[in-house]
Amino acid sequence: MEKNKEKKGSEENFTPRIVYALCAWCGTGGSETAGAYWLKYPENVRPFRVMCTGALDASYVLRAFIEGADGVVVSGCHPGDCHYNLGNFRARRRLAVMKEVLNALGLDGDRLWLRWVAHGEGKKLVDTAWEFDAHIREKGPNALSRRWDT
Amino acid sequence: MVAVKIEGNRWEGFKGFLRDLLGEGAVGAVVVPYPVPAGDSFAHLLVKEPSRVDHAWPVAPVMTVQGGRVVSRLTRKGPVEVPTVVVLRPCELAAMRELIKLNQVKPQGLLTVSFDCPGAYPLRSYLEGNGEEIKAAFLNALKDFRLAGARPLCQVCIRFTGAWADIEVGFLGAPQGSFYLIAHTPQGEKALEALGYTGQEDLAEREKAVEELTASRVSEREAYFREEFGPQVAGPEALLATFHNCINCHNCMRVCPICFCRECFFESNALKVAPHNYLMRARRKGGLRFMPDTLLFHTGRMNHMSLSCVSCGACEDACPNAVPVSRLFAMVGDRTRAIFQYEPGRDLEEPIPFLDYREEELQEWEEPYIQSTTHCPSSL
Repeated sequence: MEKNKEKKGSEENFTPRIVYALCAWCGTGGSETAGAYWLKYPENVRPFRVMCTGALDASYVLRAFIEGADGVVVSGCHPGDCHYNLGNFRARRRLAVMKEVLNALGLDGDRLWLRWVAHGEGKKLVDTAWEFDAHIREKGPNALSRRWDT
Repeated sequence: MVAVKIEGNRWEGFKGFLRDLLGEGAVGAVVVPYPVPAGDSFAHLLVKEPSRVDHAWPVAPVMTVQGGRVVSRLTRKGPVEVPTVVVLRPCELAAMRELIKLNQVKPQGLLTVSFDCPGAYPLRSYLEGNGEEIKAAFLNALKDFRLAGARPLCQVCIRFTGAWADIEVGFLGAPQGSFYLIAHTPQGEKALEALGYTGQEDLAEREKAVEELTASRVSEREAYFREEFGPQVAGPEALLATFHNCINCHNCMRVCPICFCRECFFESNALKVAPHNYLMRARRKGGLRFMPDTLLFHTGRMNHMSLSCVSCGACEDACPNAVPVSRLFAMVGDRTRAIFQYEPGRDLEEPIPFLDYREEELQEWEEPYIQSTTHCPSSL
C-alpha cells in the first residue's frame, strides 16, 4: 500500500522517508524524555542512533539520500555538552560542509538539518521531527532516492 | 629577502640555476620533471648528476604524476639525508604543503622551487598530439603566459605563482629575456647566497602583473563555475548525466595527492555487501546500476577532501572516460573552503578545518528552534 502511494508521487499522497540521526547521549536521551511524557513524533521518521554526532560521516548521510531518504535531520548534545568533549564541534563543521556540497551540486542542502537537542528536551525533539516532516512534505520527494543510475 | 634579476634566456636560465645549485654542492639532489627516453612524455626524475639537469624540463607541458605525491613517496620513510631541491608547480607545492600538515611529507632537508605556471595541457591531448609542436608552443607560453589548449581548470587557476616556495622563479613582470629569483625563506636565501646572488631587486612591476592576472583569473573562475560549468552539472538530472560515463575505477582517487589514506572507505568492505542488499536497493529503485555507489563515491570524496583540494586537475587527467572530475571538485571545493576562509597550502601552521573548531561559529548552519505548536499535535 505504501509503495503504491509513493509511485503516484502526488502531493497529498507523499509520505517522506526521514532519517533522524541521534547521538547516543543527548539525542536519544531526548527521545527517552519524549517517551516518558508520551509525546508522539511522525511514524515516517526513523531514528538512527550514532555514538556521537561527530561520528556521523558524510557517507551515512549521502547513502541515506541516495538510497531512499527524502530528508535527514541530525540532533546531538548542545555545543559544549558533548560526552566526548568536542565531537559536536567537529560535527558542526562536517554538517556545514555536507550541506554546502549538496548546495553546490544543486542537490538541495536544505534537506539536511542540524539542531541540538539535550537529554531533557523531549519536546524539542518531537517538535523538530514534526517541523522537519512538514518541511520535507512541502519540498516533495528527493529525486536522487528514486533514481537507479546513481 | 633576496630577490635578483637574471638576464638571458628564461628556459636555459632556469635550468642553469638548478644545475648550479647541484654543481656548487649547495644541494645533493634535484627532483625535476624530465622527458622520458622515448621523448613522448615526462616523469619526475631524482637527479644526482649535474649535467643531467641540462635535459630537464623544470616547467613541463603536462602533469603526469602530481609532484606532491612524488615528494610524499620520497620522504615516506623519513626525511632526505642530503639537501634536495624539488621543482614543483604551484598546485603541486600546495599539495605538498597540505601533505606536510597531514604528516605525509617530511619537509626537513627539502628546498622547494616553484615558478609562474602557464598551465598544463590535458594529458590525453598531449599524448595524442604532435609532441614537438606542442613543446614549442609551450615554451612560447613562458613568454606571454597564454597557453592555448591548456586544461580548463588551468585556465581559471588563481594560484599560479611560486610564492609559497623557498625559492620562487618569477617570469611575470620581468622584462623579456630575463626572470627573477626570489627567496621567501631563510633556507632559500642561504641557497641563493651560496651561488653568489645577493641584493634586493625592485619587484613592483612583478607584483602589479601578478595582481592584475590574479584579479582577472578570480573573476573568470567565478564566472566559469557560476555561468558555464555550474549549470551543466547542477541538479540531480545533470549531475547524474555527468557521472554516466564513470566506470567507478577510482583512478581519480588514486592519483589525487590529497587522498593519502592507505585504505579508502569507498574501497573498503563496508561497501561490498551481500546480494540481498543489492536486490533490496534494486527493488526500491526499480533497478540498480552497476558498478554501484558511483555518486556516493564522488560526493563522499568531496566531503572528505574538498577542503584540501588544490585544484591541480590530476583526477581529470587520469579519468579514462572524460568525466570533468577536477572541475566538479574545484567548484564544490571553492564553496566548502569559503565556509572556513581556508586555502590549502597557504600556511603550515593553519590547521585543516576538520581538525579544528571554535566554540562559537557556524550558527547559520544550525536550524533555529522557535518553540511552537504549529507542527506538533502532541503538544496540545
